Amino acid sequence: MSSRKEITISPTTRIEGHGKVTIVLDELGNVSDAHFYATEIRGFDYFLRGMEADRLPFIISRICGVCSTAHIIASVGTIESIYKTEITETAKKLRELLLMGQIINNHSLVIYFLTLPDFYFPIEEDPSKRNIFQIMRERPDIGKRAISLRSFGAKILDIIGKREVHILSTIPGGIINPLKERERQGLLREAENSLTTTKEALALGKELFEKNWTDFKKAGDYKTHYMALTKDNALEFYDGKIRIIDPEGATMSEFTAQDYMEHLEEKTYSWTYAKFAYLKALGWPKGIVQVGSTARMNVNSKATTELAKKELEEFKRKFGNPAHATLLFDYARLIDLTYACERAQELLKDESLTRTDTRVKVEPKGGRGIGVVEAPRGTLAHEYVLTREGRLKQMKLIIPTQVNNEAINLNVKDAATEFIHKGEIKPGLLNRIEMVIRAYDPCIKCATRQANEKLTVEIKNSRGQLIETL
Amino acid sequence: MKVNIVSLTCCAGCVSSFLNAGEALLEVLLGDFEIVYSPTFIDLKEIPNVDLAIVEGGVRTKDDEKLIREVRAKSRTLVALGICATHGGITSLGNMLSLKKLLEKEYSLIDTAKLPELEDLMYPICNFVDVDYYIPGCPPMPFLIVHTLKNITSGKQPLRHESVVCTECHRKIIPAKLDRLYGIYEKESDPLLCLVSQGFVCLGSLTREGCGAPCPRAGFTCFGCRGPPDSLMYRSRDMYAFLIQVISKRTSIPEEKVKQELYRNPFIFHTFIFSKFERSKAREKVI
Repeated sequence: MSSRKEITISPTTRIEGHGKVTIVLDELGNVSDAHFYATEIRGFDYFLRGMEADRLPFIISRICGVCSTAHIIASVGTIESIYKTEITETAKKLRELLLMGQIINNHSLVIYFLTLPDFYFPIEEDPSKRNIFQIMRERPDIGKRAISLRSFGAKILDIIGKREVHILSTIPGGIINPLKERERQGLLREAENSLTTTKEALALGKELFEKNWTDFKKAGDYKTHYMALTKDNALEFYDGKIRIIDPEGATMSEFTAQDYMEHLEEKTYSWTYAKFAYLKALGWPKGIVQVGSTARMNVNSKATTELAKKELEEFKRKFGNPAHATLLFDYARLIDLTYACERAQELLKDESLTRTDTRVKVEPKGGRGIGVVEAPRGTLAHEYVLTREGRLKQMKLIIPTQVNNEAINLNVKDAATEFIHKGEIKPGLLNRIEMVIRAYDPCIKCATRQANEKLTVEIKNSRGQLIETL
Repeated sequence: MKVNIVSLTCCAGCVSSFLNAGEALLEVLLGDFEIVYSPTFIDLKEIPNVDLAIVEGGVRTKDDEKLIREVRAKSRTLVALGICATHGGITSLGNMLSLKKLLEKEYSLIDTAKLPELEDLMYPICNFVDVDYYIPGCPPMPFLIVHTLKNITSGKQPLRHESVVCTECHRKIIPAKLDRLYGIYEKESDPLLCLVSQGFVCLGSLTREGCGAPCPRAGFTCFGCRGPPDSLMYRSRDMYAFLIQVISKRTSIPEEKVKQELYRNPFIFHTFIFSKFERSKAREKVI
């Protein structure tokens, strides 16, 4: 029998979705391989085939209940690009506001509920105590802030989207319900309070980060390419072009959403249900690219709102441009949150937001199209092929976690190598590995899907006659 | 009260919805409600014995099955949260074809030593274990979750919602004379009239109330995410036939024609028609 050994961490905790880590040791007890993998699968991209495009955005959001709004906005964008529909300015503003609500709702969850316990408690702390509920018991004010911030995001989604999770109002052609003046005023008042809360979150986050920075730096860095949306070099989530920069920060390419699939390629492995995505031009494994909060900071040189601009400049000054340390994702997420709150307030101040021209008529067509938005975890792309009747024939989604997948795996292997030597495991291994994974806030739910290009779906009528094959 | 929050195969939207409850959530968390195990929030790897387990998601893999059996054995009360846990949910759409077969073709390389094997179909959790309370919804509204949990933790029987969404909808049912059905966004809807009588396929008349009818109130058809009401929880009730009758009565379109149009679209019943939900087990326990 071989003396090779495997160490398994299951389930990975404070991460969305079912993950597992396996570390393989060689005969000498040193790390030979380490994997972070997804153990669940649902198969969206095959069971949605044949669905009519009208219904699709609302159902496809079920891929992820945490970032459902980002999926819906990418999805309607894709359908509109096929239909060649130009939506109104009012609808664009409302959609951007929805996306800001999504960022606030998600980031307040990730920052407070998932990662804060790592910064708040010393590493020696009893694992059963290292969580937000313990923090709430010790510091009720922090708990209150976490929940009020999340509620503000939820309220935007509820009032404009008509539901907090899996919103309804966003349809191909615009937004179905215009915003009422009374609702705008109410949200605006809350936006002001939320900005105050965000400033407190920022101060707390920066304080804890600085305290731990010498330790955090050790958690590794990967000098890879980065990708994010950009609009005139400024931080952007909804509109704009996609830019890829090289590890030194120089722009490698910049393109519109319709060209997205020309630049990225997917890859699968036998040991995980999640896919990997990389840059086509550089091939595998040279084309590793990262998306998400740090990538947004690296790709863009400024932000259009006051406080976020200041914070972004400080970030670049402190950590370099581009910044590479893995745990900076947590820091950059605070800047995302600041921007989202400020931008939401800016949008809500605009009185034209309540105009009633939120919807245009769509003319269903067949064809291929792509929609891209900046989701909480990074650049999200949907690509559909529709039949002439407006039914889904084929789809391909490139999800942020798929793009970051290889970087996550490399980070896990690094952490394992640092802590395991000749079969001896230094304390703190588990925490370090989970912290680097957590930095990416991977959404395993999103990243696991498979497609079989040869699959056909037959639609029959009530008498069993074949009416359409997809 | 010690609490577990467990996720099986799902989108995590139900726990997300619970966390959107704002002040009411804070009240629950600061009360007699100690979350001791939850991979999403807590660094504990072993499942402890608890008073209450909240389960989101259904059973898609053998891992899910193992996990739900262990959770059941270690909890006094078990709550199924959301349509995936209660009825199988959206992933049940995959039950039209065998996902397993599909994977064999495309993923002949899947290493089953490392990855959990798939069940033949997507199942709700009640096919494997006894469930004490079902809270269906995709996702259930925050107030519904919080209200139910509050009742359970204080030892009271949670309020059950037995009837249909129409009882919570403000729209007036006035039968109309139409010649065909319409796609969900094909025309703008009248804000006060029943959506079915305007020719839209709204599932409110065969979907459980308790959500407050947010979809038809905002001008969208009900997608049926709360599953069937008490009256349709019997095997003898044919939901398809019932819907055809409702639509035909409210639009004056002949039943045969309604049937043809509905059969054209396999996605109308997305949340429950392909489900393996055992209706008889859940009777009297659905919130």
